[in-house]
Amino acid sequence: MPAETGPTAEPTTGPTQTERWTPRRGATGRLLAAELRLVLGRRRNQVFVAGLGLVPALLGLMLYLTRDDPRTSEGPGFLTQATNNGVFLVVASLFMCLPFLLPLTVALATGDAVAGEASAGTLRYLLVLPVSRSRLLFAKAVGALALVAVAVGVVATVGLVVGAALFGLHDVVLLSGTTVPLAEGMLRVLGVVVYIGLSLTGLVVVGLFVSTLTEVPIAAMVATVVVAVVSTILDTLPALSAVHPYLLTHYWYGFAELLRLEVDWNTVGTGLGLQVAWVVVFGAFAWSRFTQSNISS
Amino acid sequence: MTSPTISRHARWGVPTLAVSAVVAGFALQPLLAAASAADLPETTPEQLVAQVLAADPQPLSGTVVYTADLGLPNIAALAGVAGLNSAMTSADPTNLLAGTSTLKVWTDADSRSRVTLQGGTSEFSVVHDATQAWTYSSHDQTVTHYTVDDPARLAELGQTEVPVPADLPTPPRAADDLLAELGQHSTLTLDATTTVAGRAAYQLVLTPKSTTTLVGRITVAIDGKTFSPLKVAVWSRDDAQNPAVELGFTDVTFATPSDQVLTWSTPAGAQVEEVVVPLPTDAEIAEAAAEAQDLAPTVTVSGTGWDQVVTITGLPVDELMGLPGTGPDRSAHRHPLPGLAQDYAQMPEEAPQIAQSLLAGLSTEVDGGRLISSSLVNVLLLDDGRVLVGAVPGDTLLAAAR
Amino acid sequence: MSDDLAVATRGLTKRFRSGQVAVDAIDLEVPRGAVYGFLGPNGSGKTTTIRMLLGLVRPTAGEVELLGRPMPQAAAQVLGPVGALVEGPAFQPYLTGRANLVRLDACDPSADPATRDARIDAALARVGLAAAGGKKFRQYSLGMKQRLGLAATLLRPRELMVLDEPTNGLDPQGTREVRTLVRELADEGTTVLVSSHLLAEIDQVCTHLGVMSTGRLVLQGGRADLAGQRPRRVEITTTAAHLPTARRVLAEQGLTDIRVPAVGPDIRVPAVGPDIRVPAVGPDIRVPAVGPDVRDDGAAGTATRLTAVLDGVATPAITKALVEAEVAVAALHVREPSLEEVFVELTGEGFDVAR
Repeated sequence: MPAETGPTAEPTTGPTQTERWTPRRGATGRLLAAELRLVLGRRRNQVFVAGLGLVPALLGLMLYLTRDDPRTSEGPGFLTQATNNGVFLVVASLFMCLPFLLPLTVALATGDAVAGEASAGTLRYLLVLPVSRSRLLFAKAVGALALVAVAVGVVATVGLVVGAALFGLHDVVLLSGTTVPLAEGMLRVLGVVVYIGLSLTGLVVVGLFVSTLTEVPIAAMVATVVVAVVSTILDTLPALSAVHPYLLTHYWYGFAELLRLEVDWNTVGTGLGLQVAWVVVFGAFAWSRFTQSNISS
Repeated sequence: MTSPTISRHARWGVPTLAVSAVVAGFALQPLLAAASAADLPETTPEQLVAQVLAADPQPLSGTVVYTADLGLPNIAALAGVAGLNSAMTSADPTNLLAGTSTLKVWTDADSRSRVTLQGGTSEFSVVHDATQAWTYSSHDQTVTHYTVDDPARLAELGQTEVPVPADLPTPPRAADDLLAELGQHSTLTLDATTTVAGRAAYQLVLTPKSTTTLVGRITVAIDGKTFSPLKVAVWSRDDAQNPAVELGFTDVTFATPSDQVLTWSTPAGAQVEEVVVPLPTDAEIAEAAAEAQDLAPTVTVSGTGWDQVVTITGLPVDELMGLPGTGPDRSAHRHPLPGLAQDYAQMPEEAPQIAQSLLAGLSTEVDGGRLISSSLVNVLLLDDGRVLVGAVPGDTLLAAAR
Repeated sequence: MSDDLAVATRGLTKRFRSGQVAVDAIDLEVPRGAVYGFLGPNGSGKTTTIRMLLGLVRPTAGEVELLGRPMPQAAAQVLGPVGALVEGPAFQPYLTGRANLVRLDACDPSADPATRDARIDAALARVGLAAAGGKKFRQYSLGMKQRLGLAATLLRPRELMVLDEPTNGLDPQGTREVRTLVRELADEGTTVLVSSHLLAEIDQVCTHLGVMSTGRLVLQGGRADLAGQRPRRVEITTTAAHLPTARRVLAEQGLTDIRVPAVGPDIRVPAVGPDIRVPAVGPDIRVPAVGPDVRDDGAAGTATRLTAVLDGVATPAITKALVEAEVAVAALHVREPSLEEVFVELTGEGFDVAR
């Protein structure tokens, strides 16, 4: 922000002569910190994330109890791998959460971000402080991303702890059948966690855009989940194969590349680049919409 | 603080700019990839074929994409309706008939190679190391280890690799087979040079001399430097726009891959199946040739080149209308991809019904049987147990059946 | 537009997408240091105007200057010294009152974090929420919420306060406190723009008034000037029998516009307090006295009142003439012009929902 001189260059008789009205150092940092406190401190969000943490715990327990049942060999390889090696419980848990629960987390975070503040009426009070709309939108994006990051982190961490406790941590067998040392395997799984987190950034920004369109947070949340689900469905329709590479969710499962013998950085890069494209486009839409909208709630 | 001072035009300018930048980014990608198209020295089709067949196999690593659009009904959707759980995240066998599969290839051009079929979150690997070979399916962590009973005999037979039924196709393999089999029945021409996987390539066009086959033409892109085939595309007579089947590198590096890729060590916890491949003695080969004669009553080939019709008799069509693996003798219908075949084998109890509904969706009722019609190949299943296969119209098959 | 104005608009108009004109070309002028009562029935466009002043809603046409700077272009520079309560308080329900203020202050780019706690304590104390700061906002009563909203505007000394219906939901005591607060702020030199649909609530503290009716600013000016335009009236309470005589005497004395207000036995004037509306106020039903000093004579049905414009006639002369004419005078008041009357005349309705 440019350091503007105060608005009252002309003398005033009011009590504000000595008050400083130009932005102070660290204003953006304080705004972000306040937003993070709000999002991460909210009881409902904490309960939701804790609930997500149950997924790896229950999944681990279920695999542990049925590990001798031959039927568990059905389903994706991660599930069966997890019974051999706790590290894979991290991947299996995220894999389970990716189609619906993580988009729901994104929807929860972004629905509240703008629509929630609008419906509570708090948005107008932030804007007259004044917080510039661009900065507020940025802070909202950071807050929503933080909640999603925490959610992914909790699933991964609980997955690792439960996996280690139930199945132990061993050298990691890649999808290609090659065994790599535990340290490298952990690094690759960390890469998977980061990739999945970054894969959600596009949806976060789409959700934020949706959130600027309405004053009903639930509507924004539902719309965001619908975007993710519809994108997944479209991705399976062969008739639309021409648009598949541009779908928001198309490269979500590209994290598997990190578990192959030779990581195809091309695919990983394309997947992340696609997210950047969605972030840029819908970030611009959200900014355009939010900075122009009438705040009438 | 920016927002209130920026003109209203910026509010629309910024999204417009963002969309343009992204569109431009996507549009530029292929342009950049194609930027290396270079002039290649003049050549003739015959010279090129000779060079390809004479060229030493190249050590390489790369990504191969296989795309099939055979004009069949939507198999994945049919399978979904029929109750087959074709999870999008695993290597989907129906992709071989319609859709796209990605393979990775590494070879030292000698005795060691690795080819993998990439599923969304799974992988099927075939690793060759001289007298041994392994397949590995990440889906169920099963290893099949192939060895020969007599390694010395392998060399005598002039082979460098153990023959594995699960071998995956690569552009060089496919091109070599095509050129050897069909070159003489085709008109060879050269198309404009092209770029495949960032490399300048000749385009050889095989046009069938026959006018009755379903195949319109086959194009083979051949690397201008190594004369290694980079892409094979088969076009049906009906659709000149898009190839019915395409197998090509999207990314290739001509260099010997690292040892880590080419060596195999069986992971802990995997189920291992040992298979010893018996290598035939000279006597056995002769015997097999004689047996081939005996096969005549069951497998007949009529027509030549592109118009070949293969007639198989004595098959339990009822079982065919079920699926491989459900019959009494699984090995009789060995699927090209055992890992995927095992997926089939693990199908639920209602598999036969699913198969029948699949078949019903794929085929049409004709006089005396059912016809599976695609843009390249037709298959006629007759009620009397005969099966006719050929790259010819369905009527030709029906005529051949009479 | 003048530098002497804390708020100035020119031709400010808001037309909603539905085509409804919420605010119709108003020229608002709030002088610095004024306490500007922004009056009008619910739905007359006050809140939309305030939203446009603060840059929350984009005007369809017209200009806004706040503290001498154009809005919304200079929002970042100008809104700091402006405290605002817009259409009721709004806070995160799951945070305590205090935590809500902490959050707001942390988001304020020019607020000093070092003095935050002290300023919050002071603001809470000033609105009487010192003890309730630790309670969740959702547990607050309507009055407490309103007080917290005021506290938020008091976190920092302001040059201009925009208070939209600050007394909504407050009890009479709370309303008095708000009035006191507005006076204090004015004494400190703060310009206050306070809106209300209830005249009586803010009548006493305003130095300036603006009246909205169906989107138009129908009246604006200094309170004294506005009142001065209206004639003083005398009101005589007598008996029905003496009414014709009284009427004649008044006419003889040169008083004009002699009327008998239609306050009959069935229309009782309730004890009108600052927070209670006069129910049956219509154009031809005069409320004889609005304000805390109102009294019902308790003799409804027998007493009859007569009002007339004084026109400079001295009251002693009237009294004398009435007595000489043997009119029984139960009471005689000189009524200062009532703003209520002014509004009723201008808006054509009472202070109830307009549409």
